[in-house]
Amino acid sequence: MNTGAGTGTGTGGAVYDRGYRPYEGPRGRRGAATFALYTASMRRALGLRRSWRQKVAPFVLLAVVTVPAIVDVGIGYVTRDRGFDRIEIITYREYVGVSSALLLFVALVAPDVICPDRRQRVLPLMFARPMLGRDYVVAKVGAIASILFAFSFIPQLVLYAGNMLVSDSALDYLTGHLSELWQVPTAVLLLSVYYAVIGVAIASLTDRRIVAGASVIGLFLVTSITSGVITEDGRRSEGSLGALINVLRLPLYLRDIVFLGEIERRTPLSGVAGGGAMAAGLYTAILVTGLVVLLRRYRWVER
Amino acid sequence: MRVCETRWVVSTAPLLRLDGVSKRYASVTALDDLTIEIPRGRIGLVGANGAGKTTTFKLLLGLAHPSAGRVEVCGIDVADDPVGVRARLGYMPEHDCLPLDQTAADVVSTFGELSGLPARAARQRASDILDLVGLDEARFRPIGGFSTGMRQRTKLAQALVGDPELVLLDEPTAGLDPLGREEMLALVARLGTFGISVLMATHLLDDVQQVCDHVVMIDGGRLVVSGSTESLLERTGVVTVDVGDRGPELAAALEAIGIVSSSADGLVEVGVSDDRGLDTLRDTIARLGLPLYRLSDRVTSLDDVFLRLSREAS
Repeated sequence: MNTGAGTGTGTGGAVYDRGYRPYEGPRGRRGAATFALYTASMRRALGLRRSWRQKVAPFVLLAVVTVPAIVDVGIGYVTRDRGFDRIEIITYREYVGVSSALLLFVALVAPDVICPDRRQRVLPLMFARPMLGRDYVVAKVGAIASILFAFSFIPQLVLYAGNMLVSDSALDYLTGHLSELWQVPTAVLLLSVYYAVIGVAIASLTDRRIVAGASVIGLFLVTSITSGVITEDGRRSEGSLGALINVLRLPLYLRDIVFLGEIERRTPLSGVAGGGAMAAGLYTAILVTGLVVLLRRYRWVER
Repeated sequence: MRVCETRWVVSTAPLLRLDGVSKRYASVTALDDLTIEIPRGRIGLVGANGAGKTTTFKLLLGLAHPSAGRVEVCGIDVADDPVGVRARLGYMPEHDCLPLDQTAADVVSTFGELSGLPARAARQRASDILDLVGLDEARFRPIGGFSTGMRQRTKLAQALVGDPELVLLDEPTAGLDPLGREEMLALVARLGTFGISVLMATHLLDDVQQVCDHVVMIDGGRLVVSGSTESLLERTGVVTVDVGDRGPELAAALEAIGIVSSSADGLVEVGVSDDRGLDTLRDTIARLGLPLYRLSDRVTSLDDVFLRLSREAS
């Protein structure tokens, strides 16, 4: 039904009231709404369609985490024909650890995509759409996890592609490093999902961004310092269960299992019987707890 | 899960059906055994603050569940398919609810996508709807810099962008100046011509009288009355006459022939029970040679109806 009307002046000019045009095209439901919220949250986290100030933090961080890859590849390029062994400043496994620097990004971005929805009372508008509370959780966690994954994986890709190009034979490099093709994305995924769930779960508990950001950093700092104090004593023998308290480091034990099949020897958990299984169990428990917090936080929509 | 649907197939079912609906919180009964059937069109949901209007909206949106009874929207049971119901609704809350650091175009477009529209269609519709509500030139400005009237229009735009079958408006004129209020009511009145039904919750009965063709009055969670606006506005048997500054002269002449009248503020109110009384009034005005600027039936306002029925109910 088009109620628009045109008024001709007789000399070619006309003013049109375009009125209202009903929408006749395809219309999605929960999946489409969830995907829309996911992309909107990604845009917000990356500062897209926002002022340049909002874009600085994410892209500077991406540049910073990519620097080790560029340096490593650069050294490889400079020393490629010098006749001595390739100097490798960072391995793929260690590089996954560098991604934990993205914790700062989580502390900054997770509150930014969660807290304003509650503070500015946008939630009732969202839940008046064809979506449920769990769709909201999936979209928000998914958005943060996707960005973390991309920001952790892109530098690894740069490193891998660069190493391939500066090696004597790209094909030999590829065939010699096939296992990294699944180890890197798996380890990065484990880290991304973990940090995203913790960051979003903490941010959902307050409507103040600064409180949420400080809480995320505080949790990681307090647990890592506490664990450090405990394991320092444990070093006298052979590792300590206290290492598991370190929420920041926990996914790195899983990374070791993915790359090495065991906990790396120089870590505070090495030598602890069943340490790997306990780390995996605790990792799962923290993920589940975070998701339960989130689902309970937004379940009122479904009651 | 992407379900391709086009424009709603409008069923012949009533727009809303509440069957014995109660909603009880810990110590408060917000709605008490409410049974109503409401036709399509522009409906006013009227009641004092705390009457149960917002609770009714929550039940319609499936954001709260009734303690007892059944709620149907557009023929769909809200308990069975809340997502299906929400896909057909637009909602404009009373309170501030817009992200202030984003532009109106971004916000409305995003809510279009959340309503299930593809991204490109949502952007196009956001532009059209913002044009419709009079925000075409301001659509790329952050909402934080908007006046109250502009924010209300943005809220209305986000409710309309998904092309709903029914739009729920919670106090749409709250906080607006008289001009803004008139413009908002004109917009609401136009929605009916677009094939969109409106349920407007308000405590301003003048707003309802101006734009709604059906009224539901609730008080203390109970139904006071539900009916067409016209049927509720009763004739009072009083005619208002404007004869300029010669009102007292007319009042005295009517008094002399035994017709009850009163003169105030330049208007004469005359008790007229039938057509013969009207003839007598006309003849008197002609005999005195008075100028007749206006002659109209005085009808009760919705305020009168609400107060009377609420008193009767209690």
